[in-house]
Amino acid sequence: MSNMITVKNMCLWYGEHQALKNINVSIPEKSITAFIGPSGCGKSTFLKSLNRMNDLIQGVRITGDILYNGKNIFDSSVDVNELRREVGMVFQKPNPFPMSIYDNIAYGPRTHGIKNKAKLDDIVECSLRDAAIWEEVKDRLKKNALGLSGGQQQRLCIARALAVKPAVLLMDEPTSALDPISTSKIEELSMKLKENYTIIMVTHNMQQAVRISDQTAFFLLGELIEYGNTETLFSTPKDKRTEDYITGRFG
Amino acid sequence: MKNKKIICAMLIAVMTAGVMAGCGRGSAEKKVSTDGSTSMEKVIGALGEAFKQKDSSVTFTYNPTGSGTGIQAVLDGRCDIGLSSRGLKKEEKEQGLTETVLAYDGIAIIVNPENPVENLSAETIGKIYTGEITNWKDAGGNDGEIVLIGREAGSGTRDGFESVTETEGLCKYRQELTSTGDVITTVAGNPNAVGYASLASVSDNVKAVLVNGVIPSEETIKDGSYVVQRPFVLVTQKDKELSETAREFFDYITSNDAAEIIYKAGVVPAYGEETAGDATLP
Amino acid sequence: MKDEKNFFEKLVHSIFLILGLVTVGCVLLITIYLIISGIPAIKKIGLVPFLFGKTWESTAEHASYGILPFILTSIYGTAGAIVIGVPIGFLTSVYLSKTAPKRIRGIVEAVVSLLAGIPSVVFGLVGMLVLVPGIRKIFHVADGASLLAAIVVLAIMILPSIIKVSVTALDAVPEEYENASLALGATPIETYFRVSVPAAKSGIATAVVLGIGRAIGEAMAVMMVSGNVANMPGLFQSVRFLTTAVASEMSYSSGLQRQALFSIALVLFLFIMLINAALKFFLKGKKE
Repeated sequence: MSNMITVKNMCLWYGEHQALKNINVSIPEKSITAFIGPSGCGKSTFLKSLNRMNDLIQGVRITGDILYNGKNIFDSSVDVNELRREVGMVFQKPNPFPMSIYDNIAYGPRTHGIKNKAKLDDIVECSLRDAAIWEEVKDRLKKNALGLSGGQQQRLCIARALAVKPAVLLMDEPTSALDPISTSKIEELSMKLKENYTIIMVTHNMQQAVRISDQTAFFLLGELIEYGNTETLFSTPKDKRTEDYITGRFG
Repeated sequence: MKNKKIICAMLIAVMTAGVMAGCGRGSAEKKVSTDGSTSMEKVIGALGEAFKQKDSSVTFTYNPTGSGTGIQAVLDGRCDIGLSSRGLKKEEKEQGLTETVLAYDGIAIIVNPENPVENLSAETIGKIYTGEITNWKDAGGNDGEIVLIGREAGSGTRDGFESVTETEGLCKYRQELTSTGDVITTVAGNPNAVGYASLASVSDNVKAVLVNGVIPSEETIKDGSYVVQRPFVLVTQKDKELSETAREFFDYITSNDAAEIIYKAGVVPAYGEETAGDATLP
Repeated sequence: MKDEKNFFEKLVHSIFLILGLVTVGCVLLITIYLIISGIPAIKKIGLVPFLFGKTWESTAEHASYGILPFILTSIYGTAGAIVIGVPIGFLTSVYLSKTAPKRIRGIVEAVVSLLAGIPSVVFGLVGMLVLVPGIRKIFHVADGASLLAAIVVLAIMILPSIIKVSVTALDAVPEEYENASLALGATPIETYFRVSVPAAKSGIATAVVLGIGRAIGEAMAVMMVSGNVANMPGLFQSVRFLTTAVASEMSYSSGLQRQALFSIALVLFLFIMLINAALKFFLKGKKE
């Protein structure tokens, strides 16, 4: 399995405050990698660097390399919009646009130039099927997306992200705002998606990491403490701090 | 149910207060009311103030409703003295009204200072304003389309101008402005403009032309050689006596003492001696 | 104690109700007064000759009271102001809300607020002294006081309200929508126009309605720059609006002329109601 994303000596500052210190990690393709760690440890910040969403925040400074498919994403020749198409993102709080379900899914493809109605219809159906929500919404595509339940909205957001055919899917605590049933639906969905997509998921829920991820990275105070196969990391953690965290000594 | 009662009580209180306020006015003892021409506002205002200074218990009112309405008000008995910036018509005199000329107001014909025209005959002015002459070169000036500036319908100044030039209802204005000041500003801003304004208001940024070769001044207005003028007239009922206060006011403003005030307000008093000082109006 | 509190609550509620009723009462009063004052002249002149007559000569021997020139001028003038003012205001508000650096935004917003506070007469004065001669010189017409001058003045006057309200609406669009759009690979400009603006739609529409309201009701400023002659409207013609028709003749008017002026005010009033209703209906339809 080749590495989709390779990060070398990456550091990040918010103004004077250093939020990420010397991160080195390689994310293999077509698998689920979990980022765990206590609040404020930098895992979400790191996630947002991978698709350069941190560019939008004033005062952010990044050093080091983040290679996507071998190319440094900060290189001036990189089209950041194209990068974001390939590296999609699902946010913690479901955020469908205040438009119809159809328009939500079609938004991405339309932005990237697809105008043909038949093609868009096709993409909409495929994406909704891939996100395991087609059956529930196929008769109400023209209705406003805000009328869906929380869990449905999040699956809709996943479908929306899939509609632009990314290679990587970044998920920032996607189930923390959802009920247990919706949570398990999305976990199931992720397991299915990893056959075709590389998934990186930030999670506050260690059990979730254990349930679904192949690799896990443990962050603490801006540093990547330990990274490895999920089973190994949780059963025989190499670093004491990892052990303390997963046994619940602090959280 | 309780809410409704409270609302009703409050509404009644509010309405009662309103009615009381309206009834509170007692009848003033000493009052003189005038009604009519807006062109006379400055003059009559100054005279009213001076009269009040002599006797502070007097209530002086002036209603700027226009000459026509003022004349009607005298007929209806709604005011003591009517003010008109034109002479009474025959029908109005036949209805028992009498006029007393208080002063003469000159209307200057103004052009832009850049305009070489110095003198226009009354006939030419008429032709210009009815659109018969449309280019300055046909009136002794340079080649340029004449821009006609005037006042709005109902203005006393417009009425005076149109009646002297015999252009009632025939003027083809480009702009109808609502104040003498605006007319002057507009003419000052357009080299091809022509307008009319009360002589007293004319300032340095426009030029007043001679009419029929006569320069507008106090003398030429008084002796009538400057034709573009109109009388400021006090209208009263022939057979009805004025109230004591009104009579006092009337006598005061038609006396020598008031001449200075009238002159200062920019018009030529019909009564009173020549005032020392400038022989021509500003 | 409890009874006292209860009574106090009820009292305050009643006061609020009365104040609300006073407001409604004022509007009702104005409406009724306008209708009562405006109907007689329309009856005497005839509805069709009044609304569709092309000649207005209120003080002539044989007076005519056709207000079509005023109606058309008000429509064209307002439309012109909207056509110029809305795009400029709208694009400015997008700039201010989304892309302007903080310092520039602060300065521009202060200037806009200043513009909003300038009284109409000042606009009129500046228009008379600068705009009218300017139009005369640029377009080589005999006189610059025209419909065009009025449109320019109106457009500038409605900019502040359009900008202020639109900026507020755009600011209120949740960041999440914009983040989602950017994460999908849309450019910032695409995001603003395809997500933020539609999300702020009702606020922006309100801004436009405010602008229309101000433009159609403006009298003072346009009176000094539009020439004020009762002509059928033309871009460089001297024109009179419904508002200026009332304002310029009201003080001297009497009899049928005065009643006709009230009728013009009634027509103006109905116009504004119509526009408000139409926009409300249009907005409701879009919301679905």
